[in-house]
Amino acid sequence: MKIKKLLFVTKFEELGFDALQSLLSLREVGLEHVVFVNIIERERVAMRRGTGYSKEAEIRLRETANIRFIDWAENLFEQGMEVGAYIVVGSLVGEVIKAAQKEEADLIVVGRSQKGVIEQLYAGSDITELLHRTSKPVLVYKYLSESSFALEKPFESPILATDWSPASMRAIDFLKELKGIIQKIHVVHVADQKQLSGSAMAIQKTRKKIRAKLDEICKTFEAEGISASPHVYIGDPEQEIEKAARECQATLIVMGSSGKANWVERWLGSTPRNIAEKSDFPTLLIPPIKL
Amino acid sequence: MGKKVLVVDDDPDVRLFNVTVLEENGYTPLVATNGEEGKNLAKQEKPDLVILDVLMPRESGIRLYRELKTDKNLKHIPIIMLSGIAEKSFLRSQKVLAEFGDTPVPEPEAYLEKPVEAEELAATIKKIIG
Repeated sequence: MKIKKLLFVTKFEELGFDALQSLLSLREVGLEHVVFVNIIERERVAMRRGTGYSKEAEIRLRETANIRFIDWAENLFEQGMEVGAYIVVGSLVGEVIKAAQKEEADLIVVGRSQKGVIEQLYAGSDITELLHRTSKPVLVYKYLSESSFALEKPFESPILATDWSPASMRAIDFLKELKGIIQKIHVVHVADQKQLSGSAMAIQKTRKKIRAKLDEICKTFEAEGISASPHVYIGDPEQEIEKAARECQATLIVMGSSGKANWVERWLGSTPRNIAEKSDFPTLLIPPIKL
Repeated sequence: MGKKVLVVDDDPDVRLFNVTVLEENGYTPLVATNGEEGKNLAKQEKPDLVILDVLMPRESGIRLYRELKTDKNLKHIPIIMLSGIAEKSFLRSQKVLAEFGDTPVPEPEAYLEKPVEAEELAATIKKIIG
């Protein structure tokens, strides 16, 4: 799971060149190729009712994106990197998936979903849909979000929130490949309060069991030369993971993404999706392998 | 049949423009939409000239240029770079790659920054391959 090629999906407002530059520390662990992707959504080139599609609007949007990409590409080429670009009219998720397949990208970087709550409920979130349709890791990057700080080294101190699912175990392998740029990993499990019924002794036993499993994960990181520490939290996973990220002064939250059906996530939500969209921390989601 | 000219560009409008200029001036155009396709076609067809874009999907013109200029069977083929990427950036990138240990490559026979007039393109091609 080495990251040699990343797909940088941008609408320009939320992810600019400064955000991309902050990801270039990945060059130290093998990144060679960056592919810019700008999707012009159909609504933006559709004309008012009855008048069809505006070629002129498409050309204007395409060339605006092209001008930005040329500027960014010159900068990366001059650093000896390989660069590609896609500017496509279509649906965001569908075109990102196509580009990721064509390019055989190792990581997809996207901004936070711009859809409103009602739209997400009926149409689904772009991030949820993307995770359901790809087995590539997706980094939901929030470089300069309102309440966050600019990150210079986003991979320096990640927290891995694990629920022992196959996807979170896959996240371990992914993080091992980043050993050259990670200083410390905090491995976190959030236990449900319902798991903790009974005597103080029973609760402590549960904690001990979880801690032992976390220690095993930490050992696999330590074997790769990555410093790692285990942390057990109790309560609502979404709130506790956010709390853990703050307490550990994390630079990134890493999680396996849910295997729940798309419609279930749309109506009931999921921890990875909610963190990806609401947290101020950049969130790296590792989907399970699609068969 | 006229001399074969391979056009490598991902933009359909630019490909159409180049093909029209080539046909109007008696050349035989060959077309590829990205660097990877361009490399395969260059190996198969051994064109007399390549017109090459830089910023493309799959493989950039920077990498294809290096591959063509370091392949003993293809390095004699002249190349016109036709791109929105500035010549200065192209040359600097090649220099950086050489500094990283890649083989140094010569400068292209011509470098045209997009957009280009049909007459200028035709004149450049004629100057290089007649």
